[in-house]
Amino acid sequence: MLKPRLSLWFTRGYATRIAEKPPARFPDPLLNAPNVAAKTLKDENLTFIHRPPPTVPSPHSTTLAPASPLLKSPTPSNKHAPMPPFLRPSAYNAAPLRMSDKDIEQLRKLRLSNPEKHSRAKLAKLFKCTPNFVSKIAALPRPKRKEFARKMEAEHETVRGQWGEKKATFVAIKQKRREFW
Amino acid sequence: MGHVSKRLYSSASKLAVSTSRLKQFPPKEAILVPDSGKPNFFDPELWAALQPPPTSALTAFAHRIGLANVLSSADVVRRACTHKSFLNLHAKYYPSSPTPPTNANLATLGNSLMGLFASEHLHAAYPHLPTRVLKAAVSAHVGPLTCASVAQEMGAVPLLRWHRQPTTPMSPALLHSDALASIPRAITALVYQEISLQSARKFVQSFFLSRQVDLQSMIRFRDPKRALTETVEKFGRERPKSRLLKETGRYSNSPVFVVGIFSGQDKLGEGFGSSLKMAEYRAAEDSLHRLYLTRTPDHLLQVPSSTFPFKQGNIYKTGLEVPYTPGVLGEAEILYASSGRSNIVAPKRPTLEEIEARREGLDV
Repeated sequence: MLKPRLSLWFTRGYATRIAEKPPARFPDPLLNAPNVAAKTLKDENLTFIHRPPPTVPSPHSTTLAPASPLLKSPTPSNKHAPMPPFLRPSAYNAAPLRMSDKDIEQLRKLRLSNPEKHSRAKLAKLFKCTPNFVSKIAALPRPKRKEFARKMEAEHETVRGQWGEKKATFVAIKQKRREFW
Repeated sequence: MGHVSKRLYSSASKLAVSTSRLKQFPPKEAILVPDSGKPNFFDPELWAALQPPPTSALTAFAHRIGLANVLSSADVVRRACTHKSFLNLHAKYYPSSPTPPTNANLATLGNSLMGLFASEHLHAAYPHLPTRVLKAAVSAHVGPLTCASVAQEMGAVPLLRWHRQPTTPMSPALLHSDALASIPRAITALVYQEISLQSARKFVQSFFLSRQVDLQSMIRFRDPKRALTETVEKFGRERPKSRLLKETGRYSNSPVFVVGIFSGQDKLGEGFGSSLKMAEYRAAEDSLHRLYLTRTPDHLLQVPSSTFPFKQGNIYKTGLEVPYTPGVLGEAEILYASSGRSNIVAPKRPTLEEIEARREGLDV
């Protein structure tokens, strides 16, 4: 049995307006940034909006409120605090163990006896350290160092002479860009 | 009007030559004598350079810089504006006239005083600045170029009496800026002599130490990462490690990386760049800038020379003691790129054997 549908006369079963997506209203990007400082001058009809770049550090550092953590007490180390990832994958490797004094002596002996035969790279591979470490602990005397540098420079000069114009230009551009770091 | 007369009048108007003070204008040397066969060598610019500036200009200068009570007479100002290079020129053309007093002694004294005030002010203001940067900052505040700029701003250029000197085997060339720089130095010395050390410090503070100098752009490094590692070790903290904070467009032609350098949990500094290496370099630079450019607030800034008495007299005598709290001493600076060696290789000193051999050689 049909129920009495009073709504038949008071409602309609069709839409009088075509459904539209409401117009997208986006927040003003100038005012929506987190560190916005906006100042309005009503008389001159001007608005000054300062949006500091998100990572520019503050230039102001005073002795009462230093910007450098070196001048403040160090924060207690928390192993479980989330930290951004390291820049290089090699940083995740454990630090190598200290080289024994015996190994250091042997490294020095080898390097100073015949630096051409026992190069930094070969010694680093042999003793499981880095070439820079070899330079630091088994530094050659200054005249020997200068001689090596001169030889290297001469070799590089010949290589640079073989470059074409394009390559030389690109290298020069890279060097200039490096000056602006 | 001949061309010589025209040049004479134009030179006289460019330099501050007061023709009313002269006995005769145009001067005798300038007037051509057509009868005599002697050639007339007259240089109007040289003549104008030899004349003293007028009293009105000197008095106006003293009042303009607010030191009318210190630079009481025009002669004092004239002395302060005469460089020692002028003496030779004056003696050559006016040998019978008395030699004009120069600012040589005053300039030397004033230079030392300005160096003292600038060094103590900057050391108190930036306690963690390394030595070579402090030296550069002192030069920026009271160096020869700044002194020359200040002299120009004061309006001392037409009052300066000097003579250009080319490079000789014994001395470098004398430049206009060097001669100009002697004027504010001489004025500092005069303030010290006439009033007191405190007044001289006030003068240097208002004209030189209140100038804005962008130290951040002056501090550059050859290897900021190495300098930072050594600095952090000096402070006894954990070794600095670089971490990637943000990145965008890594494989595009315009990537942006933001790298932070951390010592344990503390972020020492951050930097951005279009490559990882560049961002890391800038982060290291930023860490060192944050340390070096830590400034003492003005209300806490006190300099040692403020303890000297205000009155003239013996500064070592006990007088009114001004309460003075010494400033913070920064951590000792690192050896790398410090001004210790300055890449200067000292000449090899002869050994004892060599000295004896030389002596024996002479005897034989």
